[in-house]
Amino acid sequence: MENMNLNKHISGQFNAELENVRNQVLVMGGLVEQQMNDAIDAVHDQDKDVAKRVVERDRKVNSLEVSIDEECTRIIAKRQPAASDLRLVIAIIKTIADLERIGDEAKQVAHMVIDNANKTQPPLVSVEHMGRNVVKMLHESLDAFARMDVEAAVKIHASDAKVNREYESVVRELMTFMMEDPRSIPHVLKVLWAARAMERVGDRCKNICEYIIYFVKGKDVRHIDSEEMESLINK
Amino acid sequence: MISVSAETAKAPALDLENLTEAQTALEINDLNLYYGSKQALYDINMKIPKGQVTAFIGPSGCGKSTLLRCINRMNDLVDICRIEGSIDLHGTNIYDRNVDVAALRRRVGMVFQRPNPFPKSIYENVVYGLRLQGIKDRRSLDDAVERSLRGAALWDEVKDRLHDNAFGLSGGQQQRLVIARAIAIEPEVLLLDEPTSALDPISTLTIEELINELKSKYTVVIVTHNMQQAARVSDQTAFMYMGELIEYADTNTLFTTPRLKKTEDYITGRYG
Repeated sequence: MENMNLNKHISGQFNAELENVRNQVLVMGGLVEQQMNDAIDAVHDQDKDVAKRVVERDRKVNSLEVSIDEECTRIIAKRQPAASDLRLVIAIIKTIADLERIGDEAKQVAHMVIDNANKTQPPLVSVEHMGRNVVKMLHESLDAFARMDVEAAVKIHASDAKVNREYESVVRELMTFMMEDPRSIPHVLKVLWAARAMERVGDRCKNICEYIIYFVKGKDVRHIDSEEMESLINK
Repeated sequence: MISVSAETAKAPALDLENLTEAQTALEINDLNLYYGSKQALYDINMKIPKGQVTAFIGPSGCGKSTLLRCINRMNDLVDICRIEGSIDLHGTNIYDRNVDVAALRRRVGMVFQRPNPFPKSIYENVVYGLRLQGIKDRRSLDDAVERSLRGAALWDEVKDRLHDNAFGLSGGQQQRLVIARAIAIEPEVLLLDEPTSALDPISTLTIEELINELKSKYTVVIVTHNMQQAARVSDQTAFMYMGELIEYADTNTLFTTPRLKKTEDYITGRYG
């Protein structure tokens, strides 16, 4: 947190505003992480009630996104932030958009649990396993965001490839299942979409890591491969 | 594939350390300046590109106005001021012994913080420099008045009352009149020393818009206390602190990703 230097402005009010909006992002991140966790738990326990709560709570995630967005707009209008302050505000605006979408993915997983309840289930173990990995990735991303830790961000960024591989193997597994019993296709497809949602969460965590790097280093590392990224960061 | 139109594409930033001679308007070399025994500028080295707006920013007393005043030798008027080093204007050192200072100031015009029109008519204010040069022909004076007032975005507001006293204009209009007076003699460089600090926000925007147009004909160097103004109007920004040039870069870079912490602290309003 020291590298953020948030409390060094001559204007104490500005310090407070930045600190406040940053805290709200962490609150939102915590909520989204809980949503993902609960969604995966619902998959594991086939618990419709938990899934319904996840769907319910998504509204709270959405309203947090709106209020943080408003706060950022106010800061830009009133303070005209520059340099790292500006990068922080921009990084926050982008991060919360991704967090909101992660919330949507959690909702999607929860819907799968609700829709597929009382039906013969395809093997969900591998989907659940993938989900746990994604939640871990999300947790680490939020942690890196809280500390604005570039090193961690680079590491998490690279770990998305693992999630992608896992997703591919889940897809293969589900395809076998569909081939064996075509009648299962409708609800296996729902599982597939849930797996897809989890895979997307990995991509969004990757985005958040890119915003962390943008804030700290002032370098835009989107859409480039990892080698280029490393050399850009270390330049 | 969507192509980016010419207007929206960002012009590549100039490589300020390696400007070619044709790109350079001013080259400041190892400039040291002393007021009596107190040194006010330390080893300033920079190249100011031609046809662009360069801003000097920094806290009060950092030497930015002093540096600006060196460019048309205004500091010569200060008895205790001593200068080492050189400033080349399009290749010739303005501190050479055989330079005619009056001629230099025709090539390097200056506008100050407070509008300072002469207690004369609008017309006479604009042609003042031309009359000093001995131009008497009515026709060419009239042309110069219209051209300069248009150049300073003031023509439409004053064309029907050119012979009214300049003091009847608003502050923002007076400042544009002073700019018109400065460009009437067609200088190569225009120095603006906090040109909007005594003006209201709307007049300020008019002047800023004007600065943007001026750079197509003149090299503009501006000192400003308003960092956002520097960010809005300039192509290059130089950050000065305690008489030293700390960071000099293209404005887009300086205001988003400054290289040095001192610059960062200043432009984000932190105490260092």
